Amino acid sequence: MPHHRFECSECIPEREKHAVVKGPGEDLTDALPLGYLNTIPGTISERGCAYCGAKHVIGTPMKDVIHISHGPVGCTYDTWQTKRYISDNDNFQLKNTFATDVKEKHIVFGAEKLLKQNIIEAFKAFPDIKRMTIYQTCATALIGDDIGAVADEVMEEMPDVDIFVCNSPGFAGPSQSGGHHKINIAWVKNKVGTVEPEITSDYVINYVGEYNIQGDQEVMQDYFKRMGIQVLSTFTGNGSYDDLRAMHKAHLNVLECARSAEYICNELRVKYNIPRLDIDGFGFEPLSSSLRKIGIFFGIEDRAQAIIDEETARWKPELDWYKERLKGKKVCLWPGGSKLWHWANVIHEEMGVEVVSVYTKFGHQGDMEKGIARCEEGALAIDDPNELEGLEAMEKLKPDVIFTGKRPGEVAKKVRVPYLNAHAYHNGPYKGYEGWVRFARDIYNAIYSPIHQLSGIDISKDEIATDKGFSTQRMVSDVNLPEEVKNSETLRQYTGGFDSVSKLRNKTYPYLEQRAASVEA
Amino acid sequence: MEENVLKERVAQLEDHILKKCLWQFHSRAWDRERQNENILGKTMQILCGEPVAKETAEDRCYYADAVCLADAYKERFDWINTLNVAEIKEVMAALKERIDYVTITGSLNEELTVKQY
Amino acid sequence: MSCDLKPKDRAGVINPIFTCQPAGAQFASIGIKDCIGIVHGGQGCVMFVRLWFSQHFKDNFLMASSSVHEDGAVFGALDRVETAVDVLLMRYPDVKVVPIITTCSTEVIGDDVDGVIRKLNEGLIKEKYADREVHLVAIHTPSFVGSHVTGYDVALDAFVQYFAKKGEPNGKLNLITGWVNPGDVTVLKGLLSAMDIDATVLFEIEEFDSPLMPDKSGESHGTTTIEDLQGTANAIGTIALNRYEGGKAAKYLENEFDIKAIVGPTPIGIRNTDTFLQNLKNMTGKPIPQSLVKERGVAIDAITDVTHMFLADKRVAIYGHPDLVIGLAEYCLDLEMKPVLLLLGDDHGGYKTDPRIKALQENVEFDMEIIMNADLMDLESRLQNGLELDLILGHSKGRFISIDYKVPMVRVGFPTYDRAGLYRHPVVGYKGAIWLAEEMANTLFTDMEYKKNKEWLLNVW
Repeated sequence: MPHHRFECSECIPEREKHAVVKGPGEDLTDALPLGYLNTIPGTISERGCAYCGAKHVIGTPMKDVIHISHGPVGCTYDTWQTKRYISDNDNFQLKNTFATDVKEKHIVFGAEKLLKQNIIEAFKAFPDIKRMTIYQTCATALIGDDIGAVADEVMEEMPDVDIFVCNSPGFAGPSQSGGHHKINIAWVKNKVGTVEPEITSDYVINYVGEYNIQGDQEVMQDYFKRMGIQVLSTFTGNGSYDDLRAMHKAHLNVLECARSAEYICNELRVKYNIPRLDIDGFGFEPLSSSLRKIGIFFGIEDRAQAIIDEETARWKPELDWYKERLKGKKVCLWPGGSKLWHWANVIHEEMGVEVVSVYTKFGHQGDMEKGIARCEEGALAIDDPNELEGLEAMEKLKPDVIFTGKRPGEVAKKVRVPYLNAHAYHNGPYKGYEGWVRFARDIYNAIYSPIHQLSGIDISKDEIATDKGFSTQRMVSDVNLPEEVKNSETLRQYTGGFDSVSKLRNKTYPYLEQRAASVEA
Repeated sequence: MEENVLKERVAQLEDHILKKCLWQFHSRAWDRERQNENILGKTMQILCGEPVAKETAEDRCYYADAVCLADAYKERFDWINTLNVAEIKEVMAALKERIDYVTITGSLNEELTVKQY
Repeated sequence: MSCDLKPKDRAGVINPIFTCQPAGAQFASIGIKDCIGIVHGGQGCVMFVRLWFSQHFKDNFLMASSSVHEDGAVFGALDRVETAVDVLLMRYPDVKVVPIITTCSTEVIGDDVDGVIRKLNEGLIKEKYADREVHLVAIHTPSFVGSHVTGYDVALDAFVQYFAKKGEPNGKLNLITGWVNPGDVTVLKGLLSAMDIDATVLFEIEEFDSPLMPDKSGESHGTTTIEDLQGTANAIGTIALNRYEGGKAAKYLENEFDIKAIVGPTPIGIRNTDTFLQNLKNMTGKPIPQSLVKERGVAIDAITDVTHMFLADKRVAIYGHPDLVIGLAEYCLDLEMKPVLLLLGDDHGGYKTDPRIKALQENVEFDMEIIMNADLMDLESRLQNGLELDLILGHSKGRFISIDYKVPMVRVGFPTYDRAGLYRHPVVGYKGAIWLAEEMANTLFTDMEYKKNKEWLLNVW
C-alpha cells in the first residue's frame, strides 16, 4: 500500500507518512498512515483541542448537568451552539453554558475563589439542576488552580449537589482525542460506582459512545426498549449524570463510537467484568447484526429478530429506491473519527456509492485500520488532513459528494462538491432503519440538486439551454435507469416526516411493563 | 485441503471479518489476542456443531459475535457447508493465524503495545 | 424614571454574549488581502473561530494554528511559531501578511512573540524568503482581557501601527467601519461614492459574500491591501464609525501622523447617518448631493409607514457589540420605541464615560437598564421576573430565549447563523435604517399572526 504524497505537502515530507492508497492485493500490514501525532504547525489542519474533545464532544451531551468551563469566556462561547446533541429534557445542556470568566487579575492572583462563587451562582440560577461538570481550560491549567479541591469544598457545603471535575486543557494532546481519553478515564475513576441504580429489567446495558446527534440515541434506545432491555445509562448523549454514575451495574456495554469511548468500556471490563460489544447503529445489515448480537447475549434473539423484520420490511423499499439512483457515485468520507469505519463499507453495500477517500481529523491508527479494512481498493486514506490536501484530493478524485464538517463543507461547496454534515447531519437522525433512509435521501438530494447542476454553467462561454423552465432531481437521476426500476411498484422514496424522533418519547414498551408488573405481583 | 484452495477460502473469510466486524480491532494487542482467540474459537465450535461455553457474561459476549459470524459464513460461502469437521478446523485455524497476523503480529498500529488504555 | 448603568451582579457568565480577544483579531485578519493569521495557542482557538465565521457567512475563512500541545505548554512554544510561519509561507506562496495572534495560554506561559518575530525576520525570512514580501505582525490578545470586540480593536490598531507610513498626502479618507457585514460595506461605499469621496476602507470585506463560480475560483477573503494600510498615514482624515472597534487605530493615526480623527457615531438610523454625512462633508468639503436627499427620503417614507402605527412604544431589549447596541438603541428611540434593556458583553472601561450612554441617562423618560459585562442570563432572569418585552434585537446565541419566552427577535449583529443571508443586509446608512425598521415590523407581524394577537390589523394599513 503506497504512501501518498500530496503535491501541496511536498515541502513538509513528514506528511507523506499520513496518507496511503489502498492498493490491489495489499493489506493493513503493508502500510498504515501514522495517527494521533502532534500536528504540524501552520498546516491549517482541521483539528480541535483536548478541551473541546472533553467538554464539547463527550461532556456536554449529558443532559441534566450544569457544564461550566473554568477559564476565560471564549472556550465556553466558541463551543456553544455548534453541535446538534439534543435531549428529551427540552435541551437544557444545549441551551445553557457556563464560564467562570477568568480575567487578568485572576491569572495573577488565582481563580479558585472566583470558581467557587461561580459554582454557587450557577446552582442558584438553576435550582432544579443538582449536578455539575467543571472543565479545566488552558489558562486555569497553567495557573495551577486546584479545581478538585474547590469542588470538594462546595460538595461538603451543599450536600445535595454532585460535581465532576474534568482536567483536560486545550493543549493536552494532539487533538480533541486527548480530551476524549481524559474525560473517559476521569469519569470511570471518580464517578462510576457512586450511585446504586434501580434495576428494572433482566437485561441491562450501558449504551456507550453515542451522543444523540439529532436523536440517534433515542432511535436506538427505542429498539433496546422494544426488546425489553433497560438502558441503564448512555455515555453520554441524552444521558443522565446519576445514571452514568451507576454504569458498573450493567450486564453489557454496547459500544458505538469506539474512538471517543472505548477507554471507559475497557476500564469497565477490567474493573467490573462487564463485557464490551462493539456495534454499528448505521445501516440495515450492520444494525440488524448488532441488535441480533445483543439479543443473543441476553437470550432474547427472537425479540431482536422481530424488530429487524418489522423495520426492514417498512424501510428497505425506500432505501433501495435511493440505492438504484446512487450507484457508482463517488464519495469522500471525511468525518472526524468513527464514521469513517462505521460508514465505509455499508454505504458501498447498501447505497451503492464508491468511497474514493476516507480521512480522519482526530482518529488514531486503530481507526485507520478499521476504515481502510472496510474500504474498497483504490481509496485514499488521510490522517489529520489539512485544507490544501483536501482541495488537492477533491481535484484529483472528483467526488460527487463529500461527508464532512460544516466548515470544510463550505470549502467543498466552492469547488462545486456538495456536502453533507457528517458530524451534525443534514436531516438526521441517521441511525436506525428510518435514519439510514434519511441519510440516503439527503445524499440523493445533494447530488441531484437542480441548483448544483446549474452551478457548473459558465453563462459567458457555454451554450445556454433555453427550452427548460425547471429541472427536478428525478429528471436527472432517472435518465439512465431501466424502466422496471423507474416504474417499480415496490420501491419508493422516503415517506417519513420532518421529525422522526419526538414521537418516540411517549411510547410504551410491553416487555418492560410486563417485567414491572411481574415484579409488583 | 490444497494450499491454494485453503488460501482462497481464508481470504474470503478474512475479507468478511475486515469489512463487517469490529471485534478484531480492539485498541491493544492483549485485547486483540483475547478477542481473536475466543470469537474465532467459538465460531469454529459453532461451525463444527460442538458445545460452546456461555456461562459467563464474557463468554456470552464472544458467543454473540461468533454466532453472527458463523451464520454469515454459512450464508455467504456455500463451500463452508460442504466441509467436514476436520476441514472446518483446518480453515478456521488458518483464518485465526491470518487474523492474528493482520491485527496483531503484522499490525503497523503503534498503539497496540501502549501499556494503559 | 431612570437609566442605570451597572455591571451584572454575578461573577460568572451564564450564556455569554461575547467570546474572547483572539476571535476579534482573527476577524480583523481575514479582512486583509494575502493575509493568513497564525493563532498561537491551542487548536480550538482557531478551529471554533473558523467555524463561527462559517456559521455566520456560510463560507470558509483561512486561519492557521501554531498547534500548541503539552510540551509547548510546559517548555514554551515559540518553536511552534517558527515552524508555523515557515510551513504557511511555503505552502501559500501569495501570503504576505502573517499576524501572530496570542491567546491566554501563550500569554500565560510568557512566549515572547515579538522576540520570535525579530528572530524570524533576521533569520528565516531574510534567508529563505529574501525575494518575497513578508510581514509578521505581533498581535497580543490574551483571552482573559476584554472580549472579541477589544480583540478586533487591538488587532486593527496593531495592523495600522505596523503598516502606516508617512508619504505624500493621498487625498483619501480613512473609513474604519468596525465589525460589520459585507452588506454594510456596500452601503457605506455607496454613500462615499455618492459624495464623490475616495476612501480607504478598513476593512474591505464585501468579498466575504463570495460566489460559487463555475471555474471554482470563488473565495471568501477581505481585499484591503498592504498599500491601503500604509496609506492610512497620508489621508485627509479618519472617520471611525465605531468607538470600540477601530477607535484605537484612529487615535493612533491622529497622534502619530496628525491625521484628524472623528470617532463615531455608528451610522445606524436616519439621525446618525445624517451625522456621518455631515462629518464627511466637514472633513472633505464635499457637498451632500441630491441623490442622497432622495435616498434618505425613500427611507423616511418607508419608516413612516411602520413607525407610529406599529413600532411606537414597543419595548425592546438589545444585546451585542457596544457600538451596535447603542446605535440601535438611539435609532429605536427615534422610532418611538422603548429600549428598556441594553446588554454590553464585556467590562470595557470606556462605557462609563461614553457620551452616548450619558445622553441616554440624562434624557430617557422611562426605566432603562444598561448592563456591563452582561450575559444572556441577564436577559433571561429579567424575563423570568416579569420584564415585559415586545422585541429582542441581538445575535443568534440568544435564540433560545426568544423561543422559550415567546418574544420575537430580530437577528442583528454577529453572529446571525440561525437566519439565512443576513450578512448581505445592511444596518448602517439609510438603507440599513429601512432594513431594520421593516425587519422589526415584519417580525412583529409574524409574531402577531403566530400568536393570533390582533393579526387582523394587518388586513389594511
